[in-house]
Amino acid sequence: MVFSSVGFLFRFLPIFMIVYLAFPKCRNIVLLIGSLIFYGVGEPYFVLLLLLSVLINYGFSWYMYWEPRSPQSNRKKRAARRRKRALVLAVALDLGVLFVFKYWDFAAGSINAAVGKGILPLFSLALPLGISFYTFQMISYQIDCCRGTIEKRAGFLSFATYVCMFPQLIAGPIVRYGEVADRLASRRVRIRDLENGLKLFTLGLGLKVLLANQIGTLWNLIMTAGAGRLHPLVAWLGAFAYSFQIYFDFWGYSVMAMGLGKMLGFSIPRNFDHPYISRSLSEFWRRWHMTLGSWFKEYVYIPLGGSRKGAGRTVCNLFVVWALTGLWHGAAWNFVLWGIVFFLMLSLEKRTFGKRLEQSIVLGHIYTVLLIPVTWVIFAITDMGQLAGYLGNLVGYHSEGILVGVTQLLRYLKEYGVLLIACVIFATPLPAKLYWKWKDRWFAVLILLGVFWWSVREIVMGSNNPFLYFRF
Amino acid sequence: MDRNKMRTFLEIIYNCPFILLIVFTSLAFVTFFDGEGNRRTGQELAVFQLFGDGEKAGDGEKKLTKIDEIENKIGQSNDSGLEEKTEIKAEREENEHQNAGARKEDIDKKENDSQRISDIDNAEIIGKTERLETHATEFVEYTPIATDSRYYSDAGKVALTTVYDYVLENESYFNDAAFLGDSRTLGISDYAGLEGADFFCDNGMTIYKLLGDDGVTYQKTGEKVDMKEILQEKRYGKIYIMLGMNELGYGDTPMYLKQYLKVIQQIKEWQPGVIIYVMANLHVSREKNNMETEFNNININDKNVASARLANGRDVFYLDCNPLFTDEEGYLQAELTFDGVHLYAQHYDKWRDFLFEHGVECGEMQQADAEEQPEGLEKMGVKDGEGASQ
Repeated sequence: MVFSSVGFLFRFLPIFMIVYLAFPKCRNIVLLIGSLIFYGVGEPYFVLLLLLSVLINYGFSWYMYWEPRSPQSNRKKRAARRRKRALVLAVALDLGVLFVFKYWDFAAGSINAAVGKGILPLFSLALPLGISFYTFQMISYQIDCCRGTIEKRAGFLSFATYVCMFPQLIAGPIVRYGEVADRLASRRVRIRDLENGLKLFTLGLGLKVLLANQIGTLWNLIMTAGAGRLHPLVAWLGAFAYSFQIYFDFWGYSVMAMGLGKMLGFSIPRNFDHPYISRSLSEFWRRWHMTLGSWFKEYVYIPLGGSRKGAGRTVCNLFVVWALTGLWHGAAWNFVLWGIVFFLMLSLEKRTFGKRLEQSIVLGHIYTVLLIPVTWVIFAITDMGQLAGYLGNLVGYHSEGILVGVTQLLRYLKEYGVLLIACVIFATPLPAKLYWKWKDRWFAVLILLGVFWWSVREIVMGSNNPFLYFRF
Repeated sequence: MDRNKMRTFLEIIYNCPFILLIVFTSLAFVTFFDGEGNRRTGQELAVFQLFGDGEKAGDGEKKLTKIDEIENKIGQSNDSGLEEKTEIKAEREENEHQNAGARKEDIDKKENDSQRISDIDNAEIIGKTERLETHATEFVEYTPIATDSRYYSDAGKVALTTVYDYVLENESYFNDAAFLGDSRTLGISDYAGLEGADFFCDNGMTIYKLLGDDGVTYQKTGEKVDMKEILQEKRYGKIYIMLGMNELGYGDTPMYLKQYLKVIQQIKEWQPGVIIYVMANLHVSREKNNMETEFNNININDKNVASARLANGRDVFYLDCNPLFTDEEGYLQAELTFDGVHLYAQHYDKWRDFLFEHGVECGEMQQADAEEQPEGLEKMGVKDGEGASQ
């Protein structure tokens, strides 16, 4: 089920909220069942996979805390060994499932292509919704258990609710257990939380439906005409359009998740901090998809040694992290390339011009405003030939004549000009600032009401555009 | 105690105006849309209006149920007649002429019998057209699969380009041509390089909206124009129509056919002697093809087969461009498209060449038309004109 659908807004959410508020004693079970329904409507079979994963993971974490009777002397050592063993198995299993569903075809296809023969079969499996997100969440739980960050063993219901809760199940944010442990144990839902949560949700809905979906049609329009024969300005327009689309899409989703979390009595962490006002790519990644960034930092980069083991090792660690980040976003070479571009740029920034960029307002902004859309183009186009064509067009190189030229550009600008300006404004921190300042004033309430119904109108009338991040 | 309760109650209301507003308006929304039966339609429609705004969901629903019943009945009774005709191939030419006469007399009579046009009458005209004009179009049959949709059924056959001695033309052929269509026609306008032709198209255009009051964008000026006025004022030699994608989830196929017929008759009346090309809707890619919704090639083919029935090989021709771009299973080739629906800009010249190859000599046509046209047709045209402008 998608947040921006009539089914969710007018059926699932109201019914669920009534049940949830009516039974304050058993909130976790209501939330778990509700979440499974939410997931099961769209993925009637994979909901079983999700349940099975949760069960097995809970089994492993239970084993980590299991304390058999043994002589005092080597109890600690044994416990540590047991925990490690359980962790390795659990992570291997989680990653294995993820690999089979998400990466097998890509890996097998690449190997087949390299060998020149079809030695490995392709499965063409459908990707279970949200598998990348909930797998990472479960892995973080296992590692935290093993490290002892989570002191007490969680009850099964708490753990299952933590993994499955519908606000963040299918597209993040990647919440760590420690961040919600208190609230899982007991939580109050105050009327203010409901009110503010719904406001936040509406804001996110507006970002998704009124900005992301709309500007997405411009990118689609340009790509429909075809990469490779675009006027440079059209190519840049397309790159900006896609940059806005992916940002408002994912940010909108994250804000909706935060709002829903608030309505349920949780506080779900913030995932975005106005990434497009960054002055360097490293700053960009501190502001973009923050929960994923901190996941990789916490569970990959630092365990590998981070930046403490010398320059060579740091570069090596960065490479691993960015190759994995690229792959996490999708099983295709363009995502690997995308990750590697970030690796190169971030390493360069770290070693050379990063400091200078962040100090200079003008240069820093020009640098990110020009570079980030290019990285999104790499992200967006899976076909390598097309990608090369598009990147060529961005710098004015055409292997064949221009087909989409100034005539179309003017038409696009006429049609999308206002929307583009709105996108630029919403990429700055200004609207968020105004929101927090005015959100309780009556006119803000009325504006939000308008946003809500305008979004509903678009949902009902327009195409039902699923979230971009659902592919991952 | 009571006062305290009252105070808490007021406090709650004071603290959550937004929730209350949303709840109340939602209740209104749900009630209102249930009452109209719109909500369900709107939702189902939503998926298919990929090309733009589409029509208001509500009116479609109401019309649909009425026509549904009538057309189903007529559709059944016509099927037998249809098959018979397709068998007689040797005497095709003769038959066609005879039938033409018979049909027009028939309709004439019908009109005299009852002055007012009801849905049933219109539907019967379609029945007759099917019977008469089908054999201008050749169909390849296959075993249809069962479909469960109120928008379409599996036609069980594929329509081929109308058989005719087409002439190879060049760009000047299109100087007196008009193209009417949706986003795909917009693609032809943008990328096929037919500078001489007039393009009237919009994203989300449908056969129902084509002659409506909202107008269509004239691509040379970028302004909305009223198609009714244009067709009455300006003379065209040939008119290309390609519509049907945005109708996939709106109304059903008989309703689509009926409207298509109305439009064609209206155009013929305003543009005597014009050649009308009914162009097949391009299939979608395998990725885009979705049997769980109405957005699939079976439905597109159903619409195409229906519109192909309008071709008569004299002044209405059916052009099937699908073989140019689809694979052996009928899916739009993945490498030709980004979104599974529209061609990349560079492939439109293939389409243009296809149009060049299917020229019809105008002079010859008009002569034939003059011979053919019995007195009844004018009357019928007028009648349908009224129908269309309703």
